[in-house]
Amino acid sequence: MKLLWEWMKSRLALAEIWNALFSRHVPEAEGLVGWLYTLGSASLFVFFIQVITGSLLAMNYVPSPDHAYDSIRFINEQVIFGKWIRALHHWGATFMVVVVSLHMLRVYFMGSYKYPREATWIVGVILFLLVMGFSFTGYLLPWDQKSYWATMVGANIASQTPAIGSYIAKILKGGDEMGAVTLTRFYAIHTLVLPGLILVAILIHLFLVVWHGISEPPQKNKGSDKKAGA
Amino acid sequence: MNWHQDYIERYKKLKEQGKSFFPYAVLKDTIMAFFILALLCWFAYHFGAALEEPADPTDSNYNPRPEWYFLFLFQALKLFPGNLESVAAVLLPGLGVTFLFLLPFLDTGPERNFLKRPFFTLLGVGTLAGIGYLTYQGTVSPLTNPIIEKDPLVFAGQRLYVSLNCSYCHKIGGKGGSVGPELDKVASGETEEWLEKHFREPQSVSPGSTMPKLNLLDDEIKVLVAFIKSLGGGEGFTEEAPKVFAENCAMCHKIGKEGAEVGPDLSLIGTARDKNYMRKYIEDPSKLNPSSSMPGYKGQLTDVQIEDLARYLSAQKGD
Repeated sequence: MKLLWEWMKSRLALAEIWNALFSRHVPEAEGLVGWLYTLGSASLFVFFIQVITGSLLAMNYVPSPDHAYDSIRFINEQVIFGKWIRALHHWGATFMVVVVSLHMLRVYFMGSYKYPREATWIVGVILFLLVMGFSFTGYLLPWDQKSYWATMVGANIASQTPAIGSYIAKILKGGDEMGAVTLTRFYAIHTLVLPGLILVAILIHLFLVVWHGISEPPQKNKGSDKKAGA
Repeated sequence: MNWHQDYIERYKKLKEQGKSFFPYAVLKDTIMAFFILALLCWFAYHFGAALEEPADPTDSNYNPRPEWYFLFLFQALKLFPGNLESVAAVLLPGLGVTFLFLLPFLDTGPERNFLKRPFFTLLGVGTLAGIGYLTYQGTVSPLTNPIIEKDPLVFAGQRLYVSLNCSYCHKIGGKGGSVGPELDKVASGETEEWLEKHFREPQSVSPGSTMPKLNLLDDEIKVLVAFIKSLGGGEGFTEEAPKVFAENCAMCHKIGKEGAEVGPDLSLIGTARDKNYMRKYIEDPSKLNPSSSMPGYKGQLTDVQIEDLARYLSAQKGD
């Protein structure tokens, strides 16, 4: 057993990874401010919840207008814990938006997007847009009244874009009408395209956070002292 | 940028003085994660995930309500009527996102404390307040979305028109066969009763017609009638309508250069609202927009006058 552990440690560079990720020092952030620094990892945590609950839902969901609604009812009524898992995924989406927004506000008001962390911020904005994309595409999947009409509104809003609006709406809907193609398209985007993109973006975001070090809480005096010295 | 080097040095010191990520930060993160998990379970348990009736593309009465965090955007749409809707729908969010992307290059000084960056702090607080206000407005006023208001019956009718291959014999907008009449020029002027009879038994109202009997369901006839009526050909208003407008509406509303500016300018109203919506609105504005101070005209004007006025207004497209 010990031998296996040693082998893994050397071949997978576990000690080095541990040093780089967990033994690294971070500037002190005390009190309430310290808790604001947990919002990033909280976003990641909610993302994991969404991945797990979403995968479980995908096992019982059918992305076609004829069966989508019935498969949701099947999940609600027949699948063990199905109702629970759907409720968790549903509220997880709301939590995701809230936690990510709070995280963004923390960074905004603390000026943490400044040198040298500009790229981290930009990837963060991309992550925010991806979350919105998840929210929009996921909304249609139950294929009930609310999801159908809300998505119709969303597509109509997209079609308001000057010049290219009608094309965007067409690409979203997969044609002039909302129907079977729209549903499979949204399903593919929600479960294949966006997860792929967001994983890459999360990895880049985390790498940059570790690489540049987490920003220190802004200090009332140090900044201006520094300015005087600069 | 002189301060860049200084910052890197200062940060290095701060980092050395700081604590190890594990276990200190990890502990806090874990506590936060459990707190969020507990809160999430509570929400999931108490509120569950709603499932409404199955999607019905022909249900014209359904009023879509977006997820609450999009409410502010929908409320903002109401501030930009007519052709300006694209400002609220696309331009403002687009500018917002662009601003977010550019932020690190707009605010480049060394100051990080929010008190020492008053412009960006105020901008942030102002945006938050605006979103908060619009969200509040959105929750108290029932949503009637301006963009969606094109009648779903018409959509369904259009789809049926395509799937029945009506265009094999009929023209709409100059496209289609020439065996039957051009629908947007002829048929849309007929009454709904006439159209209904025609779809049931074409020869009963058009003797000698070669149109086949289609054996349609009642619902299918309904949406086809709605679609044909929407084509506009016979939907004209009488010359009474502008007079009715001048007498009853012009003290508050403007069309072109005529009228006052107490209420919204209606010169382009036809691009945003259809006739049915206008009729309902004229009859009783408070049903569609509780914050409107416009009086209802049901009883003041006859139903015929209101219909006429609604047709007149829905034809105001600025051209």
